[in-house]
Amino acid sequence: MHTGIRKVGNMEWEVPVGYVPGMRVPGRFYLSDDLAGSVEEGAVRQLANVATLPGIVKYSLAMPDIHWGYGFPIGGVAAFDMEHGVISPGGVGFDINCGVRLIATPPTEKDITRKRELIEALFRTIPTGVGAKSTLKLSARDLLDMMDEGASWAVRNGYGHENDLEHCEENGSMKDASSADVSQKARQRGMPQCGTLGSGNHFLELQVVAEVTDERAARAFGIEKGQICCMIHCGSRGLGHQVCTDHLKVLEKATGNYNIQVPDRQLACAPVSSPEGKAYLGAMAAAANYAWANRQMITHNARGVFASFFGLEHEDMPLVYDVAHNVAKIEDHRVDGRSMRLCVHRKGATRAFGPGSRDIPRAYSEEGQPVIIPGSMGSSSYLLKGTATAMEKTFGSTCHGAGRLMSRTQAKKSTRGAEVQKILAKQGIIVRATSQAVIAEEAPEAYKPSSEVVRVVHEAGLSLTVARLEPLGVIKG
Amino acid sequence: MPHTELDHTADILIRVWGRTLDELFSDAAAAMAAVMFEDRRDGGIERTFSLTADDPEALLHDLLSELLFLSEVEGIVFSDIKARVEGAVVYCTARGETFSPERHRGGTEIKGISYSGLRIINTDEGYQVDIIFDV
Repeated sequence: MHTGIRKVGNMEWEVPVGYVPGMRVPGRFYLSDDLAGSVEEGAVRQLANVATLPGIVKYSLAMPDIHWGYGFPIGGVAAFDMEHGVISPGGVGFDINCGVRLIATPPTEKDITRKRELIEALFRTIPTGVGAKSTLKLSARDLLDMMDEGASWAVRNGYGHENDLEHCEENGSMKDASSADVSQKARQRGMPQCGTLGSGNHFLELQVVAEVTDERAARAFGIEKGQICCMIHCGSRGLGHQVCTDHLKVLEKATGNYNIQVPDRQLACAPVSSPEGKAYLGAMAAAANYAWANRQMITHNARGVFASFFGLEHEDMPLVYDVAHNVAKIEDHRVDGRSMRLCVHRKGATRAFGPGSRDIPRAYSEEGQPVIIPGSMGSSSYLLKGTATAMEKTFGSTCHGAGRLMSRTQAKKSTRGAEVQKILAKQGIIVRATSQAVIAEEAPEAYKPSSEVVRVVHEAGLSLTVARLEPLGVIKG
Repeated sequence: MPHTELDHTADILIRVWGRTLDELFSDAAAAMAAVMFEDRRDGGIERTFSLTADDPEALLHDLLSELLFLSEVEGIVFSDIKARVEGAVVYCTARGETFSPERHRGGTEIKGISYSGLRIINTDEGYQVDIIFDV
């Protein structure tokens, strides 16, 4: 472990004030002894850099999928008070509301007799990869409504049903959205891309529920062993990327104007209550809403494919839940016994609210919020539930995925896409992608084992495992 | 080779060199084009633009961001990019071809140009900069 870092509890490590100059609070991250050696010094420094930002409350935090990013580390969580605290695009990233959702379907594994055809049909139906365009022609008005309303715009226009909304974080629509703060350029990028999956680590995966470890919670979430599910991972596409680029420029200037010193230009920020901070929050929320509408439209199209293959109605395939993992939100938390309104940044981290929270669906209230952790291609994914411990220790947050171990270049050097595809095919997993390179980059060995990351959050009590899902087939950019 | 890829766990980190700022900016743009698409040809499409920023790093950041925007919105795969820096202004002429689904769909989508570690430094041979592309 890097100098100065000490273990302060089961799976809990502290980065002391002074690790980098100007830290206002210590850093804390969650990791097993086995994984502790894999943390890059760059990631710890980024965690420490976040601790220098004004108004940070308690700790600069990172989840066990912590790794070196830009601005915040990936897996980073930080909360800022509304009076003195800041908001920063470096705490959200370019892919605003990149997130993941899980859809339950009635068929079981033995019903999937035409798997290759099913994967092909999904690949043909859902625009995937660089340059793929939506088949839908949006008007400028539609795009504005989509940014203001999020997933409910999609449902109102026939892409899904009312129950879907209740099963989305924020009901699929952030109230702070301000489409007026989204530039013309961002709108131009968003217009042709709604309903597209994108590329890189984004995917749609066919999975089977391989194991249920918490029967009661699984029942509440509508999941049972042997059942087929569909997992979708994507974000706000070019619209979100442009919002981040545009506002980074504005906040860069604001940082100096408000006399804030930052150790990394990507941490450009402004007080949450300032005009620049509010404009970024509004635009970010509009991009987040676009992402929810996007995932909702992909869901509708995927349901259509399942419906024709298995003779189902769309209503037979409920949305279990949809979580954001790149977002900043205004939330109420209890800090040292008192209630505080905070601006919580989660960058590559998932909200994991505990039982009784008023922000989760009533049907899930006794169990806690469903948390969806995608594995890397070919490895297990998990369904978990939020806990009171997460509320107490991490502002109701947990990990978001397996976390990379190997750079994309290393992965491409050490393996070829065709080989990965062959190995996965032997395990019965069909991969359909636009290129072999993307398959090599996303090879399973490029990631920390998802089982280990999930074990850490489970043992640390930040979220508890409910079910394990295994991949059957995947479509990728 | 005016650029090389360094290891970065999550994203793509490229080190770029140039004897002059003009070369550095042109090489950085070429490096980005190479990350995005393997097959790049001059199909006779040309775009020219100029941008202004407060410092050389911001200027480089804005140049690359603008090229990303043009590539996505106009569906252009750039093959030859020339940049000329005059004080706070960069003048750019970018040539390329129309995006072809058959040859380009498997390209790498760059989400944004990070400011993390983006610092232009003087070397004995000229200039050097490290750029993190979020992919």
